[in-house]
Amino acid sequence: MSGHRKVLSPMSTRYMGARIPRNEDPRLLQGRGLFVDDVRLPGMLHAALLRSPHAHARIRRIDVSRARAAPGVAAVYTHADLGPLGGPLPKLIPHPALVHHKTQYALAPDTVRYAGEPVAFVVAESRYAAEDVLDLITVDYDPLPVAATLEEATAAGAPLVHDDIGTNVAAHYTQRVGNVEQAFGAAPHRFRERLVIDRGASCPMETRGVVASWDPRTDRLEVWDSTQAPIPIRNGLAAMFGLLQQNVRVVAPDVGGGFGPKIMMFYPEEILVPLAAMRLGRPVKWIEDRRENFVATNQEREQIHDAEIAVDADGRILGVRTVFLYDAGAYIPYGLIVPIVAGTTLPGPYRIPHYHCEFAAVFTNKTTVSPYRGAGRPHGVFVMERLLDRVARELGLERTEVRRRNLIQPDEFPYDVGLVYQDNAPLRYDSGNYPACLDRALELIRYAEWPARQRAFRSQGRYLGLGVACYVEGTGIGPYEGCRITVEPSGKVCVATGVGTQGQGHMTSFAQIVADALGVTPRDVSVHTGDTGLFSWGTGTFASRAAVVAGNAVALAAQAVREKARVVAARLLEAPTAEIELSEGRVFVRGVPARSLSLGDVALAANPLRFAMPPEWDGPGLEAIRYFTPAQGTFSNGVHACVVEVDPDTGMLTVHQYLVVHDCGRVINPLILDGQIHGGVAQGLGGVFWEKLAYDAQAQPLSTTFMDYLVPTAAEVPSFEIEHVETPSPLNPLGVKGAGEAGVIPVAAAVAQAIEDALAPFGVRITEMPLSPNRLRQLLAEVRRTP
Amino acid sequence: MKLEGTNTLAAPVETVWKTINDPEALRRCTPGLKELKEVAPDTYEATLVIGVAAVKGSYTGKLAITDKRAPTHYIISLEGSGGPGFMKGQGSVDLEPQGEGTLLRWTGDIQIGGLIAGVGQRMLGGVGKMLIGQFFKCLEQTLGGGGQGPGGNR
Amino acid sequence: MKPAPFEYVAPRSVEETVRLLGEHGADAKILAGGQSLVPLMNMRLARPSVIVDINRLPALDYITPGPGVLRVGALCRQRTAETSPVVAAQCPLLRDALRLMGHEQIRNRGTIGGSIAHADPSAELTAVLAALGGDVSVQGPGGTRVIAASDLFVTYLTTSLEAHELLTEVRFPALPPGAGWSWMEIARRHGDFALVGVGVVLAPRGGVISEARIALTGVGPAPVRAAEAERLLAGRAPSEGLWDEAGTVVRASLEPEGDIHASPEYRKHVAGVLTSRALREALTRVGETH
Repeated sequence: MSGHRKVLSPMSTRYMGARIPRNEDPRLLQGRGLFVDDVRLPGMLHAALLRSPHAHARIRRIDVSRARAAPGVAAVYTHADLGPLGGPLPKLIPHPALVHHKTQYALAPDTVRYAGEPVAFVVAESRYAAEDVLDLITVDYDPLPVAATLEEATAAGAPLVHDDIGTNVAAHYTQRVGNVEQAFGAAPHRFRERLVIDRGASCPMETRGVVASWDPRTDRLEVWDSTQAPIPIRNGLAAMFGLLQQNVRVVAPDVGGGFGPKIMMFYPEEILVPLAAMRLGRPVKWIEDRRENFVATNQEREQIHDAEIAVDADGRILGVRTVFLYDAGAYIPYGLIVPIVAGTTLPGPYRIPHYHCEFAAVFTNKTTVSPYRGAGRPHGVFVMERLLDRVARELGLERTEVRRRNLIQPDEFPYDVGLVYQDNAPLRYDSGNYPACLDRALELIRYAEWPARQRAFRSQGRYLGLGVACYVEGTGIGPYEGCRITVEPSGKVCVATGVGTQGQGHMTSFAQIVADALGVTPRDVSVHTGDTGLFSWGTGTFASRAAVVAGNAVALAAQAVREKARVVAARLLEAPTAEIELSEGRVFVRGVPARSLSLGDVALAANPLRFAMPPEWDGPGLEAIRYFTPAQGTFSNGVHACVVEVDPDTGMLTVHQYLVVHDCGRVINPLILDGQIHGGVAQGLGGVFWEKLAYDAQAQPLSTTFMDYLVPTAAEVPSFEIEHVETPSPLNPLGVKGAGEAGVIPVAAAVAQAIEDALAPFGVRITEMPLSPNRLRQLLAEVRRTP
Repeated sequence: MKLEGTNTLAAPVETVWKTINDPEALRRCTPGLKELKEVAPDTYEATLVIGVAAVKGSYTGKLAITDKRAPTHYIISLEGSGGPGFMKGQGSVDLEPQGEGTLLRWTGDIQIGGLIAGVGQRMLGGVGKMLIGQFFKCLEQTLGGGGQGPGGNR
Repeated sequence: MKPAPFEYVAPRSVEETVRLLGEHGADAKILAGGQSLVPLMNMRLARPSVIVDINRLPALDYITPGPGVLRVGALCRQRTAETSPVVAAQCPLLRDALRLMGHEQIRNRGTIGGSIAHADPSAELTAVLAALGGDVSVQGPGGTRVIAASDLFVTYLTTSLEAHELLTEVRFPALPPGAGWSWMEIARRHGDFALVGVGVVLAPRGGVISEARIALTGVGPAPVRAAEAERLLAGRAPSEGLWDEAGTVVRASLEPEGDIHASPEYRKHVAGVLTSRALREALTRVGETH
């Protein structure tokens, strides 16, 4: 990585921005990771769950007598056995508009509302025995009518997912900017689209899993949980089980992918496993199998937008309106985050003077929905970009020109969109250079030459298309994260923070920040995340926030430790503090490198065994705890461009080229950032053409294996080209913005445009995602015209 | 999954009617039926092992015949549950004379839930149709064969 | 996802295997490569009470070229056959189909005999065997018998093997001298089960097609031999129009089922498209074999 970068702090930036390999990789690549299933404790029991095969049914009777009598069985629980834990699970994120905040139960009391809902919990000597015992439980179900789709659930007389509330609408919420009715009334052109996005699953390589161990001698509960939110889990368990938070330790060790669904809490198993461990006095393990993951881990994506755009004759946006249905699934623990993010991401990099966004969050008899990488952002961008493509087509304007005319300009920041974002703060973009990103993307994809290239392909009977889409990504929201940094006498630096790591490379990027501040190498910095025993304040890793919120807490703590080291060294080296510098693991007097101490020796000296401590040291050791509490999020942006080919005879899609021009402020480690984008684009492409959670008319999930739920492989995705533009955020000391979801956000929008471009001779219109060869063939058949 | 079809049987309507109401014939012709116990008139407890080759699941449940309009019409329903989940089917059978024989029209609506639905969708439709085909083929053989009309997804 | 309890036996000879199968009948299941059976067991879709592991029968692991026929032992790994020069020389259709069969890791374990005996309706090998008109040897308590491909595949996952019989050898007839061939399939992703697959052999003589063989997979309960299209092609001179005609005939002859990935209409349509394309490709290869 090269190029001039504005230095925002007096630290050197030797490692910030460097493309260095990850600290965590040697351990992970040698199979020395510690995932929940690697936790093996003496005397450990194994759990399995009996799940409802019905999407909606009354439970008449559960007979567990044969199961309880089976060999090797330690416990069989149904709802009747849960005692005080038998109530609805915690409501996570309330919202004034969320009038029916329904959450599920650890085990269903009398009604199951989706296929896969837990009904009974078995603990046995092995997972094999536990699964054998599931067969011995008899449940007498009385099937109920099913609300399988958004349309069905919102139709008059629809079967009610929760019959006590008399409706399937959990919330109805509207946000507005300006006067949309007036803008539309006066507009020369209005275009309307119905846009549909179907369900997807995040498919982490590591499914969920929980191990719990209870020590009755010390009243201590230890839990290993493949979660993105170990600290809130700890807090919740302490409250539910009446324990001191201090006596509950939750560890999210290495986590093999989170992608959002693991920020959800509480999943039933996160309560059932500790409950069984405490009751039985033996450690208990439950590992979600892949088939369970497809029904029992939250899903996302399903929305139907009725959207409309008003433009003037030049394609300038006068107003946008979307009214959409959001499928919450059977329960809505995570509140309205996904639809709010969808509605507030829609405006993107464009000036929209009048905007109306209205949604209904709807219960259906399907697995619960909560954020999955993108968390509504891909929906918003898909709607906005599809509308702009429609404008370009209808008005005969060049598609990138329509976008350019509406982009917010670099001198307009901070730019107030006029909405309230998911963090309840005003949606105000902090910085960016949107035209520069668009220009660069068009240059890299050789946009100017495209018409000629496309003609050449068509003359060979090949249908290639190009797509370009723009987006803004809200990242780095509060409320806070914290960090404790300690220099050990060995000179090694220990960093502990509450945000867990699910593959984001925190062990490296946080180490780079610390290394620059303390004059050590990233290899000298040991970063510990996700263990409430090591750092006990924090909210979790979600919404592309760790680098921004925890990263700046790390920077602040590192700066404080640096200052402490200078103060201590000043006394030891008999020099003014102002003349003390840190570099190469040593602390020395400026210009006199011989008058130096190792950083470890300074740490040792800062923790004396005897004698009075200088008051200016303010306590022992080279250690500091700092928090970063941003008042609002910071906004990344980017442009994706791709070239695809469609075989009209088979409907098969080939992605030939995919490039990303991306601005997330200052880059900490471009290698890690590239990886984040790669993974996101791959997941985005999955949602375009391969990954679809199919349900039948009775809301039975039909794709609960990787044979039928098609995650794209290296054979389906091309090599990605990525370029970073750096517009630092003015909102934090590091100048960074989040990047965790950038890859996935505009993929559907870009590929939809590319497919339309490829199939322009046939006039195919793309208004839904995901597609498939079968669906493309159907669309071609519907518009069949001779090319 | 909705299916329908017709079969031509070489026996008069009255004989066909008797056969399709005969527990013994039902026992013999229902694929995978292991046990059929009459618990009330036209209501049976059934144990079935359904599937194909080694991929089989065991279900226990109920088979009932309702809406009888002798000798031309009834509704047959079957529901069962077991380790692989549940199955629930309902079909109508209508008989009409066709020359010396009988034309049997049937419709079926089958719901499968749980394991088999989630992991077996690729073959579910085809296998379901095949099993129903086996049932009517067996009836044909019982009654003296005729032609079989094509069944199909509707 | 753990299998139900089962007993495990690992016989050391074909005779012992057959005896064990005779003892346990339909309760036993043969474990060869395990690439279909083990997932089925883990999901408890299959609950055999006895697993007869034939991986200790090296006598069944061979590829022997013969005059006009390639003899492949049931336990020969798919990857071994795929990379075998003998297979490439005598039966490149088999090699090309193997390349699209699952992933390399699957083919490292999966066996030729296992795939044939499992008779998945979307399998490549069943269609290759059908297209070539091959046969298999099976051994039972009463001795050995030969089953032609046309009699072998009954329906979904079902062959005409009896429960106490062991498939020991698969025989793929070599391509006729100078014949062209092609294997084509559409799968959602590389390595997935084919939505539709087609294998074609085109034997030329004096500017016309002396014999054409076409078999499809994924379009019925068992591999489908496109007899009508084969008759149409025999004796005709190759042409673009003829390929289209053959595709249309194939399309009209099929009654495939639909699933979440492809409707019956899609499968019919693409079967025609692939047939035409495969014939076109086969023609370009006429003369490559000898």
